Amino acid sequence: MILRVDPSITAELSQYGGDTAVKCFNCGNCTAACSLTNQESVFPRRYIRYIQLGLKDKMIGSLDPWLCYYCGDCSETCPRQAQPGKLMMASRRWLISMYDWTGLSRLMYRHEWVEVVMLALVALLVLALFTIPANFGFRLLAQHPEALRTVNLSDFAPKEVVHWGDIALASLLGFLLLSNAARMVFHVRRHAAGGAGWAFLAELREFVIEGFTQRRWRDCETGAGKHWLRHLLLVTAYGAMFCLVVVFLRWFQVENTSFHWSSLLGYYSTLVLMGATLGIMSDRLKKREQIHKDSDLADWLFVILLFLTGLSGIALHLARLLDLPLTTYVLYTVHLMIAVSMLTVEVPFGKWSHLFYRPLAMYLQAVEARRQHSAIPAGATRAPVTV
Amino acid sequence: MTKIKPFYDGLVLGGGIAGMQAALDLAGQGFEVLLVEKEPTIGGVMVGLNKVFPTLDCSSCICTPRMAEVAHHDRISVLCYTDLVRARRRNAGFEVILRKKPRYVVEEDCIGCSLCELACPYFAPHEFDQGLGARAAIYIPHGNAIPQVPVLDPDYCMLDGNCARACPKNCIDFAQQAEELSVGVGSIIVATGLRLTPMGAKKQYGGDRHANVMNPLAMERVQSSNGPYGHILRPSDGKIPRSVAYVQCAGSRDQSIGVPYCSRVCCMYALKQAIMIRHQRHDTQVTIYHMDIRAFGKGYEQFYRRAQSEGVRVVKAKVARITEVENGDLSLRVELIDEGGRVADIRHDLVVLSQGTIPGWRPEGALPLEVDDDGFFAIPDIAARPANSTAEGIFVAGVATGPKDIPDSIVEAGAAAMEAAMYLDRVRESAGEMA
Repeated sequence: MILRVDPSITAELSQYGGDTAVKCFNCGNCTAACSLTNQESVFPRRYIRYIQLGLKDKMIGSLDPWLCYYCGDCSETCPRQAQPGKLMMASRRWLISMYDWTGLSRLMYRHEWVEVVMLALVALLVLALFTIPANFGFRLLAQHPEALRTVNLSDFAPKEVVHWGDIALASLLGFLLLSNAARMVFHVRRHAAGGAGWAFLAELREFVIEGFTQRRWRDCETGAGKHWLRHLLLVTAYGAMFCLVVVFLRWFQVENTSFHWSSLLGYYSTLVLMGATLGIMSDRLKKREQIHKDSDLADWLFVILLFLTGLSGIALHLARLLDLPLTTYVLYTVHLMIAVSMLTVEVPFGKWSHLFYRPLAMYLQAVEARRQHSAIPAGATRAPVTV
Repeated sequence: MTKIKPFYDGLVLGGGIAGMQAALDLAGQGFEVLLVEKEPTIGGVMVGLNKVFPTLDCSSCICTPRMAEVAHHDRISVLCYTDLVRARRRNAGFEVILRKKPRYVVEEDCIGCSLCELACPYFAPHEFDQGLGARAAIYIPHGNAIPQVPVLDPDYCMLDGNCARACPKNCIDFAQQAEELSVGVGSIIVATGLRLTPMGAKKQYGGDRHANVMNPLAMERVQSSNGPYGHILRPSDGKIPRSVAYVQCAGSRDQSIGVPYCSRVCCMYALKQAIMIRHQRHDTQVTIYHMDIRAFGKGYEQFYRRAQSEGVRVVKAKVARITEVENGDLSLRVELIDEGGRVADIRHDLVVLSQGTIPGWRPEGALPLEVDDDGFFAIPDIAARPANSTAEGIFVAGVATGPKDIPDSIVEAGAAAMEAAMYLDRVRESAGEMA
């Protein structure tokens, strides 16, 4: 196979927050220190070697960065302070931007202000949706003056409209994410050997389980329990919210001051969203663990937006129960401005895309491992490859 | 009272191989030299070594004649068990305050008969054997120590007077006090040598926890014919180790423990010890885990090849972790880079951490000298005047200026002595002109 060398890759990666690859002298401490390294995947040293050699194709086709949960053991013990964990993190950002065919992700990670502008644009679009059309939002309200005396959301944001809006948004984001993921699969499998057909089916379980539980994270030696549990709670929280909003909006969006039991699930999600994000923010300010030492604006925006989504959601809920009509409508608009902009920017282009890429990577790795095991006759060993 | 002259041409700080060589080279040019050593004996690190690389000569056979020469030299006075309190510039020379620590033995009367040592019933880990053997609470540091005068260790002494009763010269003095001495010197040579990086520096290696993880100086003692065991055995159970691992760069070239530099000697002493193990135990496997082998000196590359030809295995891998498993055996986790990056846990009976060298002494106001970030003495003009410190009239030799092997330390000691001699001559000439 001909290898194309791209010497600009180290400089490029430093724009994504990984500027220490050149420090590495390939001693292999990081790989041996990593508790997730196994027979099938040997990282981070090999991936850092790819960076140093400018082997861009190898990097794009590698799953290694997605297998890392950033416990920080490698960075802690690296004799060169080459920060392998941070390089894996930067590589994940870089990979996200490589998978993304729109190029927005690339712009966003290379220039922090782009993400802010994108968020602001989407938020303004949402605001426009609530202010400009005659049969929705504040102008619809003008036709129902009684809705200003007592809360009636159907006179502000009729749930059929919102429901179909949700579906449309979910479809758009789903399309973007899936098309990017397809590119990821293409890059990973383009040089892979054939004969993995049935392994794709057999390992689907891995994809589902890993996607919901991130169980491999628990194998990390340092700090894994706490971070894994917090992350798992977050997953259940936004998973529940996603279901409530996209599937069960009919019940979850209550028109007036009455109470519906589905709000109980909403309380759980809100509590976890706000609690977990506050915990994450406090850890990032303390900077005690490696995983919290190098957060950039994109990382911060994500947790802040998650927190604000929870906060505006519960505020909206309280305003409705207290029968404060105008406050409710304003908060409703603000809540959607935050949530929709966060989803639109983060899910297909930003940090949140890991929700799909990471389990997909684990799945693809499992597929390849299964294929290799079945391809090697008993007793034979794989020929060593030195990089 | 210790008798020394009021003035010496040169003060040498440190009685290791570099300090002794500097003292001999300066005295050999006709100057009066005072050699000050903080330990109870001269000889430094070298006298505890088994062999030297790359010739595999006996280390003490090279070191002890120099010790004797220093001790018997007409123009060299030796003060052991003595610390430098401070040196202040006076005219072209220095006013030096020294503190002689109490041995609780009257040095002038002692005949070195060891009866006190044999009478003492209290024992402590033996410093000379890196804690592997035991010595009495009153003891002569080792068989080749100079002077052959015991020192009493108040931490372990129970003051029951056994030694005093046994002493034929009645020279045990439990009430002895530290003595402050003042002396004028014309120049100073600093040869304060090294310490090893602490065994607990890299916590993933557990050098301070696992019985069978040894420091390299302890391995030197174990391999020595006058060592604590007389054979190569492992500390925890006295088993003959069938597989020994050397972990290179365990105490240097590692920013995570704050020692970023190469210690220069570890590759070579590991190869040397590995060869010695193979010589003593032909069936013992020795594996050296390294990041790269730095065999840079005269005959060193040949020595590296010799080690491999004698069956020493050399594996490129930085050890990430050492775990104690059954029977005190140790498991080393490595990425075998030359085998396609396979991660493996490899089991060994005994592990030697190739600890690096850090400065043996920091001046901290005692001397008007600057040190570099790494703690070694700063040399302003390293290419042209490698023995000249940042202060006029003070010269530096050996590991005090940076990691170094024995041949380089000896060469540098000679250079320091020559610089000091030229300095003293210049001072004399200008004093003559003024007169």
